[in-house]
Amino acid sequence: MVIIYRLIALFILVIVVWSALDEDDSYLQATAALVSIPILLRVLMIK
Amino acid sequence: MTIRRRIRGLIFLLLAVGIAAVAGREFQSFQTPFDIKKGPGVTRIKRLSHYFEDIQHTRGDTEVYFLTGENPGGTALILGGTHPNEPSGHVAAILVIENVKAAAGRIIVLPRTNASAFTHNDPQEASPSRFSMEGRSGKRWFRYGSRSTSPMDQWPDPDIYLHFPSGQTLSGNQTRNLNRAFPGKNDGNYTEKIAFAITELVKQEQVNLVIDLHEASPEYPVINAIVAHERAMPLASAVVMNLEMRGIKIGLEPSPKNLRGLTHRELGDHTQALAVLMETTNPSQGRLRGRTGQELVTSGKDKMYLKAYGMKRLYVEFDEKGYPLTERISRHLAGIEELLKAYSEANPALPVIARDIPPPEEIRSRGTSKFLN
Repeated sequence: MVIIYRLIALFILVIVVWSALDEDDSYLQATAALVSIPILLRVLMIK
Repeated sequence: MTIRRRIRGLIFLLLAVGIAAVAGREFQSFQTPFDIKKGPGVTRIKRLSHYFEDIQHTRGDTEVYFLTGENPGGTALILGGTHPNEPSGHVAAILVIENVKAAAGRIIVLPRTNASAFTHNDPQEASPSRFSMEGRSGKRWFRYGSRSTSPMDQWPDPDIYLHFPSGQTLSGNQTRNLNRAFPGKNDGNYTEKIAFAITELVKQEQVNLVIDLHEASPEYPVINAIVAHERAMPLASAVVMNLEMRGIKIGLEPSPKNLRGLTHRELGDHTQALAVLMETTNPSQGRLRGRTGQELVTSGKDKMYLKAYGMKRLYVEFDEKGYPLTERISRHLAGIEELLKAYSEANPALPVIARDIPPPEEIRSRGTSKFLN
C-alpha cells in the first residue's frame, strides 16, 4: 500500500515539476514550484 | 524564449527544494522521541510489541514502564498520549514514571500510547510542534502531536470508518483515532493493531484498573470529568466525591453504550479491567481558540475563549487565568491518586499503593520544576 501511495505521489510530483518548467506564465511556474514542496516531502515520507 | 522560461522554472524549483529542505528538517525532528527519564520506581521497561509482534519495529511500538511494588497486589494501567494533542495526559504519565514508587501491586504506564501520532501534527491547525516545561535541570521539551495515527503509517482513510467488532459507522478520518479503535483487531489497520496490542497487554498482565488521561476543548460537553464504564461506576463515584472534597470540581459521566471504540467502553466490555477516562480543559485544541502556539498550550489563556464564555458558549467557566497546563496535570495526578486509593480500599486483597505521587497542589501552585528530572 505504501509503495502504491508513493508511486502516485511521485507521478503527481513529475507532472507538477513539468508544469513549473513548461508554463509560460511566471506566476503559474512559481505556484507549481510551491505545490511541489509538500508532494516532495510526502514522496520522501518525511511529512 | 523556451530556454529563458525553463531557467526561470528551474530557479523556482531550486527555491522550492530549499524550502522543502528547511521544512523537512523540522518535520524529520518529529521522528526523534522526547526524553523520558527512568525514575527510581521503574523496575522494568518492555515494548508494546511484546504483546503483539506485528507492530515490532514500527513507529507505534512504544515503551511500557513497569513500577512493581515489593508487596503483591493488583495492577493499574495508566495511558498517556492516546491523543498527543492533549498534553496534560502524557506529561502526567511522565511525572508518574519519573517520581512514583509502587509500595504494593503494580503500576504500568504507557506515556506515548499512540506513538505514531506523536510523529506529526494536524495540518491547518497551526499547532506548535513542541512545548517546554521547567524541570530540575532546566527546560524539558515535549511533543505536541496529533489526535490521529500518522498517514505515513496508515493510508488512505476510508469514506466511512466501520468499527470492529460492533459495526458502528463513523466518519472516515476516525479510522486513525486510537480511541475509536478498541478493542482492536489483529489483522486490521495499523491503529486497530495498536489497540489490539494494548488490549492484549491488559489481558496478559491481568490489569485490574485502566486510567486513560485525556483533554477536551472548552466547548465540548464532556469536560473536567471522569467517564466510567458501568462496572467502574461505584469506584468513580467515590473518587469524584473525594476530589470535590479536595476542592477539585469534577463531573461523572457514564460511558455511552452506543459510542464504540473508546478505552472506557471496550476495555470495560472485553477485559476484566475497570476502565475510566479523565478529561481536563485544553484551550489549545478547541475550534474557538485564538492565536495558537506554545504559550497557549502551557498558559491555557485565550481571549477568544474569554469572549466565548461571555456569550455562554462554553461548558466550563473561563476567566483571565485560563487553564494552565500545570493545573490540568495536577487534576490528572489528583485523579490517579484518588482512583488508586479508592480501588485499594474496595479491593484490599489486590491493592495498588503508590508512593511519592507529585503533590497535585504543589504542581498547581509551583509548577513541575521539582518533579521533572
